Amino acid sequence: MNQPENVIEIRNLSKVYRDFWGRKKVQALKSLSLEVRKGEIFGLLGPNGSGKTTTMKLLLGLLFPTGGDVSIFGEPASNVEKNERIGYLPEESYLYRFLNAEETLDFYGRLFNMPANVRKKRCDELIQQVGIQHARKRQLKEYSKGMTRRIGLAQALINDPDLVLLDEPTSGLDPIGTRDMKDMILKLRDQGKTVVMCSHLLADVQDVCDRIAILYGGELKVIGRVEELLKSKEQEQILTSTLSDEALNEVKAVLKKHNADFISADRPTSTLEDLFLKTVQISQAQPGKRFVAEGDDKGESPLDEEKTAEQPTAENKASN
Amino acid sequence: MSFDVVGFDFLEGLTHFLKVFGGILAAALVVSLIIAFLKYGPRGFGLFFKTIWQAIVDFVHTSPRRVWAITMLTWKESSRKKALFVFVVFALLIMFAGWFLRSSVDRADLQLKVYVKFVLTAISWLTLPVVLLLSCWGLPTDIKNRSLHTVVTKPTRRHEVVLGRFFGFSLVGTVVLLVMGVIGYFWTVGQMPAEAKSELVGRVPVYGDMTYSNREGNRPQDASEETSGVNVGDIWEFRSYIEGGTKSRTFYDFDNLDVSEIREAGEFRIEYNFEAFRTHKGDIDKRLACQMTIVNKTNGLRVPLPIFEVHEFSNRAADKTIILGGVDDDGNRIDTVTYNEEATNELKTVNLYDEVLEGGDITIEVQCLDPGQFLGMARPDLFIRMPDRSFASTYFKAVFGIWLQMVLIIVIGVTASCFVKGPVATLLTFGILVVGTGFSELMQGLAAGQTEGGGPFESAYRMFMHLNPTTGFDEGPLKSVITLVDQIAIGFLWTVQHLFPRFEYYNMIPFVANGFDVPWRASLLPSIAVTLAFVIPCLILGYFSLQLREMEAK
Repeated sequence: MNQPENVIEIRNLSKVYRDFWGRKKVQALKSLSLEVRKGEIFGLLGPNGSGKTTTMKLLLGLLFPTGGDVSIFGEPASNVEKNERIGYLPEESYLYRFLNAEETLDFYGRLFNMPANVRKKRCDELIQQVGIQHARKRQLKEYSKGMTRRIGLAQALINDPDLVLLDEPTSGLDPIGTRDMKDMILKLRDQGKTVVMCSHLLADVQDVCDRIAILYGGELKVIGRVEELLKSKEQEQILTSTLSDEALNEVKAVLKKHNADFISADRPTSTLEDLFLKTVQISQAQPGKRFVAEGDDKGESPLDEEKTAEQPTAENKASN
Repeated sequence: MSFDVVGFDFLEGLTHFLKVFGGILAAALVVSLIIAFLKYGPRGFGLFFKTIWQAIVDFVHTSPRRVWAITMLTWKESSRKKALFVFVVFALLIMFAGWFLRSSVDRADLQLKVYVKFVLTAISWLTLPVVLLLSCWGLPTDIKNRSLHTVVTKPTRRHEVVLGRFFGFSLVGTVVLLVMGVIGYFWTVGQMPAEAKSELVGRVPVYGDMTYSNREGNRPQDASEETSGVNVGDIWEFRSYIEGGTKSRTFYDFDNLDVSEIREAGEFRIEYNFEAFRTHKGDIDKRLACQMTIVNKTNGLRVPLPIFEVHEFSNRAADKTIILGGVDDDGNRIDTVTYNEEATNELKTVNLYDEVLEGGDITIEVQCLDPGQFLGMARPDLFIRMPDRSFASTYFKAVFGIWLQMVLIIVIGVTASCFVKGPVATLLTFGILVVGTGFSELMQGLAAGQTEGGGPFESAYRMFMHLNPTTGFDEGPLKSVITLVDQIAIGFLWTVQHLFPRFEYYNMIPFVANGFDVPWRASLLPSIAVTLAFVIPCLILGYFSLQLREMEAK
C-alpha cells in the first residue's frame, strides 16, 4: 500500500516569544514534529496556551520559527506562492467590517488574481453555500458572530484551496451553525481537500477529524487516528433493544459464566446537539408544540418524534 | 518669500540623490550583513543574500491587480469611515469666508493675494492633516485588528500591501484635493471684485544675473566674482545700492531670451521695483531720476531708454513698468525703438526684435542720475515679463504642489506605519514635516560645519570650559581629536539632514498670490524631484519593515 502524500511536514519546530530587548518571554513550541496527509481532516487539540494557534501561524508564515522547519506542499512556509493553494479561517473572522459580503469575497478573489467573471461566479456559489444570501449586501459590522464565521469560511474557500486551515472553526456558532460547519468540513474532505483545524471543542473535533494531535505546554503529547486513540481495548459494548429486568439478569449470568465483569447497563442518551437540532426541526413544522421531561420517566422528548419536520433552511439557520 | 528664484539643476540633484541614497543603502546592507552574521553565524550570510534575492523576486512579481484591490479597499475604507467629511468643513469655510475677506483690503493686487492665500491655505490645511492621519493609522489598525492576516495569508506580497495603501490614500487625497481645488478656483474668480479681475494672471518673469560696477562704471574682469554695491546701513542686506551721478551701474544679464515669443506678444516689458535712498532732500517735488540702457551682446548695440523716475511707494504697476513695442493709438504694431545715440547725439530708430533683441542675449544697465542719492536693487527687482499665463494654469500648478506634498506625506506616513504603531507613526511623520518645513536651513548650516564655535563636540567643550566661541582653540592633540570626532559627527549630520525633505519647495502659494506663474525649474521640478526621491527609498524601507516583522509577535 502506498504511503499517503504529506501535505504538511513539521520537523523539530520550536518557537520562543521574546520581548523588545530580546529576552525570552515564553516558549510556545518545543521541538514539534508531525505530518498532515493529503485528503484527511487533522485536528490540533490542546488547552489554551498549548501552541495550537502558534503552530497554525507558523504554517502560514505569520510568525517565524525559532528553530526547525515547516514545509507545505514541499515549499517552505515563508514562500508566498504556496498561499495560492491554501485557505485560512482565522480564530476570529478578522475581516474588513466596512465591506459587505459580496465586496469581501470580491476583494479576496482579486488577491488571487481571479478574473472578474470567475470571481462573480465563485462569490455567488460561496454565499449560497454558507447560507448568507439574505445578507449579501449588508456590511459585516452588522453581522452576528455566526454570520461572520460563515463569511470567514467563504473567504477561506474563495480560491478553491487544496489545504484549508481552520482556527477554532466552530467557535461562537450556535448548534445549527456548528453542525453546518462540520458538514462543510466533511464535504471538503469528500472533495479531496486537506483540512487542518485547531479547536478546544473536543466533541466537534471527534465528530469530524480523522487524525488528531494533542499539544500541551508547546509539546506534542498524542498523535494518531481518532478511532484508534479512543477505542477501549479492555471493554466491549453491546447495543440491544430495551430489555426486561429478567432478561438483563440472564445476560449478567451469561457474562459471569464467561468470567466477564458486568460494569453497567443503561439506556443510551443522544447528544444535546441532536436534541437541539431536532427541536428546531419540529418547531419549524409544528409551531407551539412543547416537550416536558421532568423525571417521572413519562416525559416526552423531541428525539422520540417521527422525522416529520423538514431540515431547517439556510436562511433560518443564519438568522438563528 | 523672496522671488529670487534660482533654477533647479536636475542632473546635479539626481547625482546628489544617488550619492546619498547609494551611501545609505550600502551602509544599511553592510550593517544587516554584520547583524545576520552575529545572530546566525556563517548561515547568516546565506540568509542575508536569500532575503535580498527574495526582495528582488517579490518586486519583479508585483501584481497590479492585487495592488489595485488594496487601493480600492483603502478608498472604500476611507470613504466609509467618513474621511470625505472634510468637504463639509471646506464648504462651510468658503460659504462664510467671503463676508470677511471682501472688505479686508481695498487694493486690487491685495484682493487677489487675500483670496488666493485663503483658498489655497484652507485646501492645504484641510487635506494634509487628513491624509497624514489616514496614512499613519491605516496599516497599524489593520495589524491591530488582524485584518492584515487575511490579506498576507493570500498570495499577497508585503510590498503590494504597502503600494496598495500608498495608492489608496493618494487616491483619496487626490479626489479631495481635486474637488476642493476646482471649487476653490471658481469661488476665487467669482469673488474677486471687478476692479481686481485684471490681477488674475500668471506673470512669467525672466530674471537675469546681476553684477555691480565700481564707481568708474567698470565690471569686474572675472565674471564669477561676487560684486555688491554700497551698504547704506540697512540691516537687511537684500538690496545693495549704487551712487547717483557717478558712473556706477548695475548690470542685469539675460541670455537666451525667446525673442520669437516676445515678438508674438507684440511688446517687450521690463518690470522693476527699485528703492531710493536719499542722502539729501534735493528737489522736494522730484523723484529719483534713473535710466536703463539695453545692450545687445550679439551686435553691440546700445539703446538708452528714456529717463524714468523711481516711484518706490507707488502701487500702480504702470509706475514700475517700461514697455517697448506695443501698439500705437490706431492699433498698429510698433516694432521699432527710437533713441538718442550717445556717440553722435542723434535720434536713431532700430527694430526692436531684429536689432535690439537680436540673438536673445542682452544686458540691461541701470544708472541713478541724481548726484548724492542712492538707488537700491536686488536681483529679483528687475525682470523681463514674458507673455502671461492664465490664472487657472498658475492656480492649478499650486494645487499640484499641494498634491506633491500630500503624496510625500502619505508615503512617509505609510512607511512609518509599517514599523511603528499609529500614534508613533503620526508623531514621526508630523515631526519630519515640521523639521523639513522650518528647520532645513538650520540643519544645512549645522551639517556644513560652518557654525561659529566648531562642531558639536568642540561646542560642548567650549561650553564646559567657558570658552568664547570666537576665540581660537589651542593647537595640540586635544584639538586634533575633537576636530576628528566633529568631522565624523558632521558627516553623520550631513546624512541625517537628507532624511528630511525640503518642504519649502512645495509652497507655491506666494507665486499665485502675487500674480506670478509658478516656475517650472525653480519650483515644480524640485518638488517633483524631492517627492520621487523619497518615494522609492520609502517603499523599499516599507517592504523590508513588513517582510521582516512577525505579524503577531506576543
